[in-house]
Amino acid sequence: MSKTVLKVENLNMHYETIAGNVSAVRDVSFELKEGESFGLVGESGCGKTSVAMSLLQLQADNAKISSGSIKLNDEELVTKTEKELRKIRWKGISIVFQGAMNAWNPVVKIGEQIREAIREHYPNNSKEENSEKIKKLFDIVGLEHSIMNRFPHELSGGMKQRAVIALALSCDPKVLIADEPTTALDVVIQDQILKEISKVQELLGLSLIYISHDIAVIAEMTSNMAVMYAGSIVEMGKTSEIFSNPRHAYTKLLLESTPSIVGEKKKLRSLDGEPPSLIGDIKGCTFSPRCPEPSDSCKNQSLEMGLIEAAPDHFVDQCCVECV
Amino acid sequence: MTKYIINRFLQLVLVFFVFLVSSYLLFNAMPGDAFTSLLLNPQLPPDAYEKTIALYGLDRPLSERVIKYVQNFFKGDFGFSYRYYPKSPIELIAERLPRTLMLFALVNIISFYTGFLVGKILAWRRGSKSETWLTLASVLSYTVFYPWFALLMLWFFGYKMGWFPIGKFLYPEKWYDAPFDSDVVFMMMIKFTVVVSIIQFIAYLFTRNIESLSLRRNARLLSLVLIFIGSYFYWNTGDALIKKPYAADISFHMILPTIVVTIVAFAGTALLTRTTMMEVLKEDYIQTARAKGLSQKRIRDRHAARTALLPVVTSFIFTIVTIIDGSVLTEQIFSWPGMGQLLLQAVLNEDIPVAMAAFSFVGIFALVAHFVADISYAYLDPRIRIKSQG
Repeated sequence: MSKTVLKVENLNMHYETIAGNVSAVRDVSFELKEGESFGLVGESGCGKTSVAMSLLQLQADNAKISSGSIKLNDEELVTKTEKELRKIRWKGISIVFQGAMNAWNPVVKIGEQIREAIREHYPNNSKEENSEKIKKLFDIVGLEHSIMNRFPHELSGGMKQRAVIALALSCDPKVLIADEPTTALDVVIQDQILKEISKVQELLGLSLIYISHDIAVIAEMTSNMAVMYAGSIVEMGKTSEIFSNPRHAYTKLLLESTPSIVGEKKKLRSLDGEPPSLIGDIKGCTFSPRCPEPSDSCKNQSLEMGLIEAAPDHFVDQCCVECV
Repeated sequence: MTKYIINRFLQLVLVFFVFLVSSYLLFNAMPGDAFTSLLLNPQLPPDAYEKTIALYGLDRPLSERVIKYVQNFFKGDFGFSYRYYPKSPIELIAERLPRTLMLFALVNIISFYTGFLVGKILAWRRGSKSETWLTLASVLSYTVFYPWFALLMLWFFGYKMGWFPIGKFLYPEKWYDAPFDSDVVFMMMIKFTVVVSIIQFIAYLFTRNIESLSLRRNARLLSLVLIFIGSYFYWNTGDALIKKPYAADISFHMILPTIVVTIVAFAGTALLTRTTMMEVLKEDYIQTARAKGLSQKRIRDRHAARTALLPVVTSFIFTIVTIIDGSVLTEQIFSWPGMGQLLLQAVLNEDIPVAMAAFSFVGIFALVAHFVADISYAYLDPRIRIKSQG
């Protein structure tokens, strides 16, 4: 058994808005082991990015973590002050942001922006040491050393994305969060970048959290995964297990809505309706209004949501276990 | 980069040429002239007026005069003042320019710096009470009717409280037996300021490559301390020691105008910085900077303010030019005998050569400011640098 690096327990996070509190993350728990890759999948607005931001405590000003715990190597992050958190950011957990095209400051050289992060976390390094480190990182992600002295606008999208990965690795993080790192890239470059991330993860023994709405990418990238719907995890387990044997109605629909290039031709199914509003108190199963075959207990919302172990290492929301 | 600079410079020369010709034509279109009064004097022979006109060459056709004027301008010949006859406009300007330069260079630097600083803080503390009040104060000082405000300040601090002199740039009684002109002291003060700024800039360049942030900060602090010690010795030895009380007198007279103009001029910069920086703070790279674990101050100064600086610099250049125009008002209110007053008097007296020369200097100043802005803009924004190479 390898060590648990990150442990999230019953995390609840909401945004305070004029209309009321929006519960963006509801009772999310998961574990991340050393060297493991963990996927978070779900449609837009289901709370994937909110989870990622909570891990780094980089959520917007109106976002509040109301309860739960986030432990990085048994160190509690939720109660830490801003100053203590700064030490964790990038060195403990680093992130490749959604739309990394804009992650670079347009008026500062690439090398300087990476150097700045290293300087913050290793203040005693000499200039040469830092340059060496950046060169090494560029070798890993397949960039030329001269890119160090270039400005972001001189790079192509793929190069910027590679440089972003180098930046994310610059302070030897234990956990790397990749939040839809391939949006805005064409398919060929997407594939290269995904391979790059997998390679880096294996090479450095990183723990990876991969966030995407694309279930196919999750299948390729991760060993374990969780499906999120309306702020909560509805199904979690080994990626292969979930793909071969989905138990939650939402996961099933998600898989049926994705075309496969192998196997028989099947009609793709689409999911009617929209995700529920998350403002105010939420009772019962959030998926039941859209569920194709809701059970009676589901309809009258008598059951509270919560994961139970349906099969070894395969967790499903208890509402849905009832209805299937 | 060199190509960019040369290009800009050539454009500048062209614009200056157009400026020179059109300002001559404009002055020429003014009704009446400086010598009409000769006609009213019954004791002068009747042809005195014609003779004087001919003496200055004003009887020639306009086209010939324009060409002659431009030619002479580049030879450095500005003719003679109609009013103070044997004196050339250059002499008059040479006396006045240092006074204006010293005051307005100082005001510009202070107002830009405070404006930028205030704007930065306003954007950073968005939504707080201090932000609301500071923004309100900035809008107020941005929109206040300047002459009224300046007179009010002058009345309060100069007359009511008696803290500052009411006008002029020196106490004549102190200069009664001074062995030199006030211009000498002005030039010395300007030279001192320029040298100090250059030394500081060099110190900044040298410390740029220090990797450790704390070491860099200490090195910069040390350079500042050294500059202070250096200036102390400079003002307490030899020639400068004799001039020190006079320089102090001028500096004392500069305080109130500096404060008043700064209060009016900083607000534009502050409000613009606030707006642009609030835009920048929404950018993704600010979040990246936060995720990197950088300190709030570093995110604010290095990432947000640095990018927000670009449009602020552009607008600052326009502010410089309006401050030169404003110098007419300011110098009139504070009885500061500089370029602004010279210009005003020359125009009122229809002393065309002096007015033209003064205008040309203001024009040169404005154009040079634009030139400097263009270059610093290219330095600040690498995207412009690249385009100019292609």
